Amino acid sequence: MNVFDKSPLRLLERALNGGLGRGKFGVVLSRPGVGKTSFLIAMAVDHLLQGRKVMHISTKETVEHVRAFYDQLTKAMAEQLGLDNMMQRQLDVERGRHILVYNPETFTLDKLRQSVAFLREDAGFRPDMVIMDGTPRFEYTEDWEIRGICNLAQEMDAEIWTGANLHREGQELDDRGVPRELAWHEENLEVIMSLEPESDHIRLQILKEHDSEKPPSVSLQLDPETRTLRWR
Amino acid sequence: MMTDLSKVRNIGISAHIDSGKTTLTERILFYTGRIRAIHEVRGKDGVGATMDSMELERERGITIQSAATNCSWDDHNINIIDTPGHVDFTIEVERALRVLDGAVLVLCSVAGVQSQSITVDRQMKRYKVPRVAFVNKCDRSGANPMRVTDQLREKLSHNAVMMQLPLGLEAEHDGVIDLVRMQAASFEGDNGETINWSDIPDHLLVEAEARREVMLDAVSMFSDELMEAILEETVTEDMIHEAVRRGVLSNELTPVFLGSAYKNRGVQLLLDAVVRYLPCPTDIENEAIEFERGGEEIGFVLSNNDEDELVAHAFKLEDGSYGQLTYVRIYQGVLHKGTDIINTRTGKKVKVGRLGRMHADQMEDIESAGAGDIIALFGIDCASGDTFTAGRRISLTSMHVPEPVVSLAIEPADNKAQDKMSKALHRFTREDPTFRASVDPESGDTIIRGMGELHLEVYIERMKREFGAEVTTGAPKVAYRETMTNPVAFNYVHRKQTGGSGQYAKVIGRIEPSDDGQFHFETKVTGGNIPTEYISACQKGFAMCMGEGAFIGAPVQGLKVVLEDGDSHAVDSSDMAFQTACRMAFRDVYAGGNPVVLEPLMMVSVEGPGELQGEVLKTLMQRRGIIVGTTEDEGFVRIDAHVPLSEMFGYANVLRSATAGKAEFTMEFARYAPAPREVAEELRKDYLDQRAKGK
Repeated sequence: MNVFDKSPLRLLERALNGGLGRGKFGVVLSRPGVGKTSFLIAMAVDHLLQGRKVMHISTKETVEHVRAFYDQLTKAMAEQLGLDNMMQRQLDVERGRHILVYNPETFTLDKLRQSVAFLREDAGFRPDMVIMDGTPRFEYTEDWEIRGICNLAQEMDAEIWTGANLHREGQELDDRGVPRELAWHEENLEVIMSLEPESDHIRLQILKEHDSEKPPSVSLQLDPETRTLRWR
Repeated sequence: MMTDLSKVRNIGISAHIDSGKTTLTERILFYTGRIRAIHEVRGKDGVGATMDSMELERERGITIQSAATNCSWDDHNINIIDTPGHVDFTIEVERALRVLDGAVLVLCSVAGVQSQSITVDRQMKRYKVPRVAFVNKCDRSGANPMRVTDQLREKLSHNAVMMQLPLGLEAEHDGVIDLVRMQAASFEGDNGETINWSDIPDHLLVEAEARREVMLDAVSMFSDELMEAILEETVTEDMIHEAVRRGVLSNELTPVFLGSAYKNRGVQLLLDAVVRYLPCPTDIENEAIEFERGGEEIGFVLSNNDEDELVAHAFKLEDGSYGQLTYVRIYQGVLHKGTDIINTRTGKKVKVGRLGRMHADQMEDIESAGAGDIIALFGIDCASGDTFTAGRRISLTSMHVPEPVVSLAIEPADNKAQDKMSKALHRFTREDPTFRASVDPESGDTIIRGMGELHLEVYIERMKREFGAEVTTGAPKVAYRETMTNPVAFNYVHRKQTGGSGQYAKVIGRIEPSDDGQFHFETKVTGGNIPTEYISACQKGFAMCMGEGAFIGAPVQGLKVVLEDGDSHAVDSSDMAFQTACRMAFRDVYAGGNPVVLEPLMMVSVEGPGELQGEVLKTLMQRRGIIVGTTEDEGFVRIDAHVPLSEMFGYANVLRSATAGKAEFTMEFARYAPAPREVAEELRKDYLDQRAKGK
């Protein structure tokens, strides 16, 4: 048995019928500070440890910060799965990852496209997964921009994940719990998940799963201490 | 002789190579009356700025050695420690930072915050040095001090706040608007020595008022009094100064000043700021360690009091026209001429024959110096980093000294050079703990080791110039390490019976990779199966094994040994027997732990215009670089990558030609990481060949 079969993320993948899928765009929702970034990076680390490539885009942290975040979660996951030879694995994780940091005020999709092209042509870097942290901000984003991200996912042949904030109050939610500004872009969003803080853990819920009528329920929760996923 | 310590400032001037640090220092010395004429750094007059006392530095236009120089301003005594600007000389920078209480961060108003400013800033943060910023070169075309202030906030996360506005920029740059006084200052006279205060010109008044509000807003966070006064509109200049000073001392505020040292604009106001806002020695807490007789180490805070027993720290050795100089900072007590002091590292007593206060290469004899002062001792035999006391065994918290990562074989050109070379090496190794020299027992070659290619190059050049030693050099070599990647168990009996008393020791346990790259030893032996008196012999035995691994003969790093059980014999067991048993046990199981070769990875940051991103990436990828990240802002891109040191030789030239000189880079040791198989196999083969030859 492959050690990664033990990872709780496999359960999530099965619930999503094999995952988000290449060329697709997915969103993780939660209130600020619940752990969206951690959860996104946990998915990225899982990919990286299995030898896939990840591009991480941030408009809110420095390269060093993001890197420290990955190091921390790589260590936590290695402990959870009992991985050996961490020195080599760490090196492989770094080889497979590229962090792009932009000034939020001057970030555009075109700039990102340009960097993606540079990385592909000059560094031979073709990511399987892209994490976008801090951008887009759905409440201020036009439909064509979201479509732009979907197009980019297809051009890159990668899955793109991003986070979106739930506010404490005064936000209109539909009956699944999806805020209006997000439901607005629904046709371009393949998967929507949410992180809900409970008394001693954080519950993961799937609000939308590809084209299925009723989203599946998963018994997964996030450990608020180690920021790793576990079975419930 | 009590000096008022509140009127002492020990400061550094820290900056990127071309931001005009030496020119600024020169101007400071001029305005404080220390020098009579102004020279230029890369001077046409052939004299050169006074602070760069070494010829080599003059030629390269960079400052390598940190000389301390003294001057006075507004009744205050300022000691300026000239900190080197190149990252290959990190230990010099860090040593200077240790004795500073505050610093002026010089930035170029055109180039702004560059990758090197980031490295230097990181070092200052590590030592918690309070700073004021000076945005220099406001007379250059493209000058934009507001942008530089924004970069300080964004790239270096400083709470930077402009205390001044420029009175014209580029060729029009005439002076500054002081947002505390709300007046304009222009600088007149041949050398800008006369400050002319006047009302703020009408066209700048609105902006000045808006900027003052921003400044007051940021500064009032540090003073309730000021915050109230703002509401009641009763703000005084002193209230603002007091609040800024608090912000600076807590390392939470960086006030920004402007000007052009070259054009003699704004330097005097910067000096006012140094005196007003930067800490005096008693504002900073410095710690030392006292070694008790029982081997215990006790940390304590140095008092800064003249009445207490002497503690002084040698941070710089220099050999020049005055012979051997040792720069020391006194943390407490008084140092008198003619007294004896103890070097706590060697335990030797030394006599203080002569004391001096230095002004670059001119010297003033003094009788004594007290707490907080920085002075020079003459002809004292010591290494830099040593602590002097009147007798107590005290050492200043050891500074982090990195292990050298690159080596080079050198050979004297002739017999005469041999002697001179040894003299030079002897001196350099005492001046700089990251520079090492040794003789390879097999080849007989002299090997020098250091922190980078440039680091070693500079010493080779100094050998030639200062000591007249011509040497030929081999190719630079990387310092490899090795380690085991899998845990292994050992169970070894050492038994020897050859007449007389025999040897017997048995050790059982395991060896595993450690998390932090260090050697650890742990014992879980119970019931006295290995008597306690032999445990330290076991530790020593394993520690000795770390010096040379059996995979490629490199030092072994990052292993943890857990001793679990063993056996001893009442007569035949000894320290020696256990030590041998451990060494044999290690040798026995090492190959089973899947040993690998580790190579030093450097953190390389390249910064350049965004459109050259691809070119830069190519140069890094060709060097087996692991791209960590890319930061894009305002058309500039910084690429951070981990690159094996072995691939970085000659990179400066490659980068220059790939980017037409538009990109620059800095490099710092990052960590050791497994080397690729081809590299490992080659090293292994060489090692086995060497061994076969040796036997």
